Amino acid sequence: MSDKSNTLQEKMDELTQLVAWFDGEDFALEEAIDRFKAAEALAVEIEKDLSSFKNDINVLKQKFDSES
Amino acid sequence: MENVLLSVSDFVALTNQTLEYAYPNVGIEGEVSEFKVSQGKWVYFKLKDDESVVDCFMTLWQLRVPIEDGMKVIVQGTPKLTKWGRFSLTVRTIKPSGEGAIKKSFEMLREKLDKEGLFNPERKRTLPRIPQSIAVISSTEAAGYKDFIKIVNDRWGGLAISVAHVQVQGESAPDQMIRAFKYINEQEVLPEVIVLIRGGGSADDLSAFNDEQLVRAIAASRVPTLVGVGHEQDESLADMAADVRAATPSNAAQLLVPDRQDIIRSVRAQTNSLLPLIGRVIEQAAGQVDDILGRALVRIDDRIGLLQDRLRNQRSVLSQLNPETVLARGYALIRGAPTIGKLIEIETTNTIVEVEVKDVRQK
Repeated sequence: MSDKSNTLQEKMDELTQLVAWFDGEDFALEEAIDRFKAAEALAVEIEKDLSSFKNDINVLKQKFDSES
Repeated sequence: MENVLLSVSDFVALTNQTLEYAYPNVGIEGEVSEFKVSQGKWVYFKLKDDESVVDCFMTLWQLRVPIEDGMKVIVQGTPKLTKWGRFSLTVRTIKPSGEGAIKKSFEMLREKLDKEGLFNPERKRTLPRIPQSIAVISSTEAAGYKDFIKIVNDRWGGLAISVAHVQVQGESAPDQMIRAFKYINEQEVLPEVIVLIRGGGSADDLSAFNDEQLVRAIAASRVPTLVGVGHEQDESLADMAADVRAATPSNAAQLLVPDRQDIIRSVRAQTNSLLPLIGRVIEQAAGQVDDILGRALVRIDDRIGLLQDRLRNQRSVLSQLNPETVLARGYALIRGAPTIGKLIEIETTNTIVEVEVKDVRQK
């Protein structure tokens, strides 16, 4: 499971790695269900993050109409 | 003033004061002639029409677009009487007037900046796939800015957006945008992208984006730049100098951030593909087990058949060894010692006969 402090990009990278394991040579059926559950939980977390993220818009106080 | 006696210098100063009061900023349209740059700093030319001509003066720094003789221009400036008694116009801004002159000036500047390599493809930097902090240079009141912010908010979240509010058209627009670029590039913590946007407008409205100094500021930016100005068909020199050109402000938002719905769909598709994959692996494993068991059963059948064959053979051999079988072929079984005068027993298939030995000969 991903750490909460991870950025979205890190979580997506982690998900990509988890999914890639299923196509890799290390694949083992015994581990597959646990890895699938981890991937599913991470996907839910990413979706939640994506849906809840808001942009922080800050209009600079600096004026540009003359040399300061 | 009739009884006032002025020195020449006072007269010139008073005249200039009067002119400045009467014409603080006069706009004049005319044709350029005798254009020249002196000492790499001062620009002199004449502005004329069919009947009149006026001398003009400005600094090279204020000349933001290429000008040449014969070009129709609009100048903004203040009339002035010089201390040598010559009347001239001190020009603050000059811009081409009319489609032909605007196009000509645009092409001249494009050629000049292109020769300097400002538009070279190898200078272009790529934008981060998912930026976390960006700076936007635009007018917060402009429709293009509002479109951009709406689409960015729809598509993505978690982005720190710093907005430098500037004029995006008019005389002071280029300088304001240049100051904003300078300010952002001088920050201790730089954004990952600077986005310069403005919605559609007339060629004159968009002319600020063909300002030489602004184009140079874009090209010199330490931070990668994304420029989305006007509509799809509008092409400005600012676009060409940018690392990435967007067709419109909305397109700039699309190029800047991915669509969260696309990512959600992709994430779902990735995880949804895993269970069928596990199912297929289980099916393959079960198939392999079936194959192995099938092969084992065939081997067992083969071994049983082999053993049965051997058993049949042995039984056949055994049956040949059975004394009854020998008797059935007409042979007899003799019990007792072949000694003359002794009785021996002869057994055939159907009878047992006791006989006395009369003679014994060696073969």
